[in-house]
Amino acid sequence: MWNYEKRLQFPVNIKEPNAKLAQAIISQFGGPDGELAASMRYLSQRYSVPYREVAGLLTDIGTEELAHLEMVGTIVHQLTRNLSMEEIEKSGFANYYVDHTVGVWPQAAGGIPFNACEFQVKGDPITDLTEDMAADGAAL
Amino acid sequence: MGGQEKLLRDIGIVDFVLVELTEYLDTHPFDRNAMEYFNHYARIKHQMSREFAQKYFPLTKEMAESDKEWRWGMAPLPWEGACG
Amino acid sequence: MQDHLFNENCDDFSVAMAYVPWQYFDRMFDDLDKAYRIGTVFPELDKPFTGRRCV
Repeated sequence: MWNYEKRLQFPVNIKEPNAKLAQAIISQFGGPDGELAASMRYLSQRYSVPYREVAGLLTDIGTEELAHLEMVGTIVHQLTRNLSMEEIEKSGFANYYVDHTVGVWPQAAGGIPFNACEFQVKGDPITDLTEDMAADGAAL
Repeated sequence: MGGQEKLLRDIGIVDFVLVELTEYLDTHPFDRNAMEYFNHYARIKHQMSREFAQKYFPLTKEMAESDKEWRWGMAPLPWEGACG
Repeated sequence: MQDHLFNENCDDFSVAMAYVPWQYFDRMFDDLDKAYRIGTVFPELDKPFTGRRCV
């Protein structure tokens, strides 16, 4: 089970909207190496890890990734609030806006919806940790 | 930075220390030096969260004891930002 | 856990396996506000991204 704290892991206070930037940042929300994939990767892999301390670590890391997801979602939200129709069209945000308006939907920068094929769970700890390193390195 | 923003940032710093120490201790469960740091900052985090709940709003349901209004539900949401 | 593997010769390790050196906790950054901004409290894990290899 989980507990929620009503604060961000690191404060986000964006004053100027920027829909163009939001379309790049959203990949860190729902893209292949985004925080949602990271969180689901760790929280799914942990069940089959035969060492309690490592399974516990994956739980804590997967939980921290959820906090990252919330920060990235906040960045996208603050970059897209109070946009004018002119800014939406000029910044290339119109295609996203048609389907989601200013809602934050997990997708990659290219519009590909989030799905579980972004990560792997093989039930073997070395294989899974190797995939974690590849994914975490890509997200750096 | 106002008092509320400052205290929230300090809570953020202290909790970040706890997150880092937790992840270290998960794989180093007998490191007494790291445990001493963890215990120290966990106490500080608890005190700060109580102070924040008394002065501003509850960050967790454990701190949300209410009488006139439901303080948890009335609290601002983190994605609103300072200019929300 | 696997402390005993830390300082051993690379030639003693089996091929085709992945290894991660063991982390030893000594101290945290004195400036915790800085640690919060750079993303780690452990000086040994402070690895700024340069676009090429780690510093």
